[in-house]
Amino acid sequence: MTTAKITNPSIVLQLDGLTKKIGGKAIVDGLSFDIAKGEVVGLLGPNGAGKTTTMRMIVGLIGMTEGDVRICGQSIRTSFEQAIRHVGGIIENPEFYPYMTGYDNLKQYQRMTEGVTDARIQEVTKLVGMQDALGKRVRAYSLGMRQRLGIAQALLHEPKLLILDEPTNGLDPAGIKEMREYLKQIAESEGIAILVSSHLLSEIELMCSRVIVIQEGKLVTVRSLGETEATKQKMLSISMQVGNAGQAQEVIGQTEGVTIAQTDSFTNRITIQLQHDRIPELVAKLSAEGVAIYRIEEVRATLEEEFMRLTGGNRIA
Amino acid sequence: MRNFTGLLINEWLKLSKKRSFFVAYAILVVVFGIMAFAFYKLSPEGVSSTVDFATGTIMLQAAGQLVPVLAVLAAAGSVTQEYRYGTIKFLLIRAQSRHKILASKYLISIVYALTLVVTTAVLAVAAGYIVYGGGAGESTWTDFLINVASLSAYSIVFVTLTFMIGILTKSNGAAIGIGIFSMMVGSLLVMLLSRYTITKYLLFANTDLSVYRSDAVPIEGMTLAFSIVVLLVYMALFLSVSFAVFKKRDIA
Repeated sequence: MTTAKITNPSIVLQLDGLTKKIGGKAIVDGLSFDIAKGEVVGLLGPNGAGKTTTMRMIVGLIGMTEGDVRICGQSIRTSFEQAIRHVGGIIENPEFYPYMTGYDNLKQYQRMTEGVTDARIQEVTKLVGMQDALGKRVRAYSLGMRQRLGIAQALLHEPKLLILDEPTNGLDPAGIKEMREYLKQIAESEGIAILVSSHLLSEIELMCSRVIVIQEGKLVTVRSLGETEATKQKMLSISMQVGNAGQAQEVIGQTEGVTIAQTDSFTNRITIQLQHDRIPELVAKLSAEGVAIYRIEEVRATLEEEFMRLTGGNRIA
Repeated sequence: MRNFTGLLINEWLKLSKKRSFFVAYAILVVVFGIMAFAFYKLSPEGVSSTVDFATGTIMLQAAGQLVPVLAVLAAAGSVTQEYRYGTIKFLLIRAQSRHKILASKYLISIVYALTLVVTTAVLAVAAGYIVYGGGAGESTWTDFLINVASLSAYSIVFVTLTFMIGILTKSNGAAIGIGIFSMMVGSLLVMLLSRYTITKYLLFANTDLSVYRSDAVPIEGMTLAFSIVVLLVYMALFLSVSFAVFKKRDIA
């Protein structure tokens, strides 16, 4: 089977009509997307949407029914060994041989890959702050420590792509923050592309530059996060608390380019939509007309709200 | 090639780093200690030299039976433990083909079985020497070596069978159970079915090659060469199934 080749050299991961059918039912259905160098991309979806199946197919743990996954241009299906050498991964919980030390476990993976030096082992353990615990048996590790060792294991062979399934699972808030900062840092400094799934939507929001939402194995939407070029042109939703909602409504009604979405005369709150550039102008006008302003806040749809809207809640397929 | 050596070292370490690793060898030492003491106290008839003792005790019907049992215990865990620990996910996302990984596991299971055979052989001779201090008996060193070779063949066959069961069931318990059960019941089955000539094609009719030292073959017309061919065919079958299933399986 021949599929279109990668044209953009900065594309690290390319999914092309990826499909998995089990007993005639499509678990993952014609999924296509690309991830470029240095991108942190979140994979979202309700339980049973096919996130883990997709991730397992990307790393070759599960065979695909149709389509292809290419990593740095190599197909995971036809040239597995060439493709997988660019991938580091943690699929669900990181598991190690409990009766061996952390160091022995890393040595296992060193022996499986060409060109991983002892110095590299030192480097990655220092990076995840595990140098003091490396001599202990993994049996005695906390989940947080195993999570760190998992990251060390995934980075050992200097991959170009990290596949992380629920990397913050079981970590405490400090651990989650640290992991997030750390992933962002390696994506920026080493140009590693990261595909991460998590059920903590706020985490994804903080970590990723793009999210891919899937449901019932199909792509629902791809959305960029964070400030983008288009922000200035975008219509913003602003909520204001004023002294007198009625008066404010009158003033705003006379202003061009501003639409009133909602007025609540009881709490004196008014929600309007306008462009970024027009805010100072409006504030000046309200002040000039003697409307007292107590608060101005942007109303942002959180990723969670959007997620619920897109997937229609957490239906289990 | 350097890569494959790395895989073999990995598999050996997975076995030897376990605390229970030395238990198998310790059991053999204890059993031969007890045997030596019993022979010294009772001095049974027909055993009058180091070689007699060694040849007799290493037989499958005597202490030799322990070797395939211990080897099966390890072979059952080779693949199934990876599932149990969940390490299979890390193991199979390296730049190594599944075939190579499985081959390294199988080879180390065989190597481990052979270390048990060698340990048993050394212990048998050592214990025999302590009790009899040489001496002259009926058995020769050739008899002893034939028994060692039969024990090796028997162990390898059951290791291969258990290895396959482990891959098919992913369950350590099932693999051990079926491996040891077939060892126990196999010879009984052959006895029960010995009047049918078709029985000679059964795996279990051919596993004990030491029968060819005498003429006590299980079924009329069987030869050493015949048994070796049958064993090789069965092993090829078991291994083909193992590799094909392991290659194709989804790790869910």
